[in-house]
Amino acid sequence: MERTLSKQIMRIVVTGPVGAGKTTLIKTISEIDVVETDRAATDDSALLKPNTTVAMDFGRITFGADMAVHIYGTPGQERFDFMWDILVRRAHALMLLVPLHRPSDFFMASKMLRYLQFHASEVPLVVVGTHSDLPDAWPVEEVLPALGVESELELPVFGINATQVQDVAQVLIALIERYQRWVQAEPVRQ
Amino acid sequence: MAINYSAIQNALQEFVTSVGNVQGASIMSPDGLALASSLPPGMEEDRVAAMSAAMLALGERIGRELARGNIERILIEGDNGFAMVSGCTDDAVLIVLTDDKVKLGVLNLEVKQLVNRLRPMLTFSKPQVA
Repeated sequence: MERTLSKQIMRIVVTGPVGAGKTTLIKTISEIDVVETDRAATDDSALLKPNTTVAMDFGRITFGADMAVHIYGTPGQERFDFMWDILVRRAHALMLLVPLHRPSDFFMASKMLRYLQFHASEVPLVVVGTHSDLPDAWPVEEVLPALGVESELELPVFGINATQVQDVAQVLIALIERYQRWVQAEPVRQ
Repeated sequence: MAINYSAIQNALQEFVTSVGNVQGASIMSPDGLALASSLPPGMEEDRVAAMSAAMLALGERIGRELARGNIERILIEGDNGFAMVSGCTDDAVLIVLTDDKVKLGVLNLEVKQLVNRLRPMLTFSKPQVA
């Protein structure tokens, strides 16, 4: 990212439990037709939605002529954890989506958080509570304690509706800023 | 009519034991849930299922995006052999694992025959919604 001249590409990986809104978020913000790999759901996720991502989603946003953000979405089910591995390995920044209205998924979300902290502990991460518009959504400030995050970690956390462009943009900008601060702290990274 | 999983299982097992150079076969739903398998020891059915479904979905997407038309099969060629993923029915995906000595022409034919055998076993009348 520090090197200019050619176009800078930043890769953001969006992960989180089934039905958190990963595909929706990418579709909301991407300027290209999102590359989706969804298939009819035949597991428990069919109770939430007809289709589920089985490989990855891909979207893109460009900022001016010299910077592009590539957003990858992972599948939500644990059986696809090899895709988390493939995508997270090359990520510059990470978003963990947590469905605020489904506390039963918090355990899965905290498992994923631990996965990210273990496999990409250095990479900037934000926690994003989704479905914040729903009446039974948990207050966003209760998410980190519910995920078992120690307060001194200072993870940024947002509450958004992933169908709203301004909500998603706000998270994206915060994450990019966090990434840039991180890069500046240690300029050898790229 | 319900699906007879043991018949499918038997068909896969027979395929693996009777066709030369084949080491394993497994079928799964397009969203990556295992249906039936005959795999080498140590290979986990659930992981094979999820990976095969992911690969076929990605392959099909690439086929569409890069104007390659319908995807017949996806072939992974490694030092130790091949992994061939193909759609079986709308509700099932098939993966076949072979060693590196297999003749691809023979494999293609055998897999085609297996798919033809499996297809009627995998089709079932969906329950009527009242």
